[in-house]
Amino acid sequence: GDSWGIFTFLCAALCNLPALPALNCSEELGAGQSIQQTYDLTRYLEHQLRTLAGTYLNYLGPPFNEPDFNPPRLARAERVPSATVDLDLWRGLTDNARLAANYRAYSRLLCYLRVLDGQVGTAELRHRLAHFCASLQGLVLSIGGVMSSLGYPLPTGPAGPPAPPGAPTAPNDFLKKMDDFWLLKELQTWLWRSAKDFNRLKKKVPPAVVTLRLEARGF
Amino acid sequence: DIHVQYERVGADVTMKCGSMDWDAAVTWTANGTDIDESHLNGSYLILKNVDLSQSGQYSCYEGSSWHLKYQTYLRVGIPPKEPVLMCRSNNYPKGFYCSWHLPTPTYIPNSFNISVIHGTKDMVCEKDAVPKNRCHIRYLQLFSTVKYKVTLTVTNALGKNFTTLIFDEFAIVKPDPPESVVAKPVPNNPRRLEVSWQNPSSWPDPETFPLKFFLRYRPLILDQWQHVELSDGTSHTITDAYAGKEYIIQVAAKDNDIGTWSDWSVAVHATPWTEEPKHLTTEAQITETTSASTSSFMAPPTTKICDKGAMVGSGAMAVCWTAGLVVAAYSVFFI
Repeated sequence: GDSWGIFTFLCAALCNLPALPALNCSEELGAGQSIQQTYDLTRYLEHQLRTLAGTYLNYLGPPFNEPDFNPPRLARAERVPSATVDLDLWRGLTDNARLAANYRAYSRLLCYLRVLDGQVGTAELRHRLAHFCASLQGLVLSIGGVMSSLGYPLPTGPAGPPAPPGAPTAPNDFLKKMDDFWLLKELQTWLWRSAKDFNRLKKKVPPAVVTLRLEARGF
Repeated sequence: DIHVQYERVGADVTMKCGSMDWDAAVTWTANGTDIDESHLNGSYLILKNVDLSQSGQYSCYEGSSWHLKYQTYLRVGIPPKEPVLMCRSNNYPKGFYCSWHLPTPTYIPNSFNISVIHGTKDMVCEKDAVPKNRCHIRYLQLFSTVKYKVTLTVTNALGKNFTTLIFDEFAIVKPDPPESVVAKPVPNNPRRLEVSWQNPSSWPDPETFPLKFFLRYRPLILDQWQHVELSDGTSHTITDAYAGKEYIIQVAAKDNDIGTWSDWSVAVHATPWTEEPKHLTTEAQITETTSASTSSFMAPPTTKICDKGAMVGSGAMAVCWTAGLVVAAYSVFFI
């Protein structure tokens, strides 16, 4: 599906880099360039999300689409991984931990988004969500690629949305909408954070030529 | 016992002479000047529809003894209008500051109270000594999904008012303008100008939070700016400057990913390199040699030939005439 499209896009972009002539993208790629590509992908997704979130919040209706809407965080919303982190802790993260946090977060967010995709009403929203999910999948792959090229193991964990025993899906329509609101908010914040995470990684990992193996992850 | 009395502009004020009876004989003064009895109701002083000029010291003296019985300072003012509040992070990710002011003066002392709420947490905004009406907050957490709610309340003796700002961590990021902007001509390049600048000193971590820049420039004689956006580096060479024209140049900064552009930096002026004008003495020498060479071809002036000796008669005339012919012939040759 669209995932291959993103993959091809990445390859095409990388192969057009002037500094690496006659490059076959299935062979050697610098980890530095991969980080740059991942950074670019987060910016692209952030841009896409702005349109998607606007449409989706209008679909949810007021008060969710009001600019000053500032609800308290309910305990149940904590299931969605949060980008919020203590400043010194964030600074002190190792490259591995930094990448792993991003990988885990986007994998989980992708799952939640896919669940959303199956539930929305309008065709326009379904189309937008599907497109966004495909791009997000590309991001997860890209991060995975960076981790592999640096020799880090990919984080393991539940593939699907974790369902805590006994916890039901939102008991009523309003709370369900609140869940959706926070999901989009966390996604937005993660994309802002990732730009900063990958900036930091860019500085610490020089563009050395390392063999990169991009394996199909069964999508 | 010092009294201060605050009253609204336009209000009616009644001042009592301390513990004196209503029918006691008293004299009131305003800033030392006696007040006319028409303003008195018994021993009470009545001021109707007070204005700002009536602020001052009011004293009440017992009629015969001139003992000071009561004294008060009257301060006429207005209750505060809605204050103007602004919050900004020019030192991301360290924190942010908020500053405020009143849109119109109240003419009496005001006190300000600022509260910052982040989700369920109350945060303390530390007041700055300088400038006044400003406080700063340190971020405890980064990349927060919860908005900040800042409420500023202004209170004075006549009333209170407040304003609230609600914003995301990312929305208020705005760096200070770039510093030390320098523009220099490039030797032997009449269309180039080399511009360089520095990150604003208030931006704490440009390595992890890099800034991008926006350069604008125009010759002084034109109104239209040219723009260049630069994603990294703190220098740029303009290559399309008009030769010999003085330029005005400014730079602005923005976090690479979030927030808004800074204000424009201080403007710098520069003119591209121009070639030196030719040396004056060299020109004169060229003209002299040319005139010398031409004069060698010309016949000596006619007058000389005709002046030589006192030639009387047609002979002299003939010589003059011949000389004139020769000169004419040569002139024709040169035209």
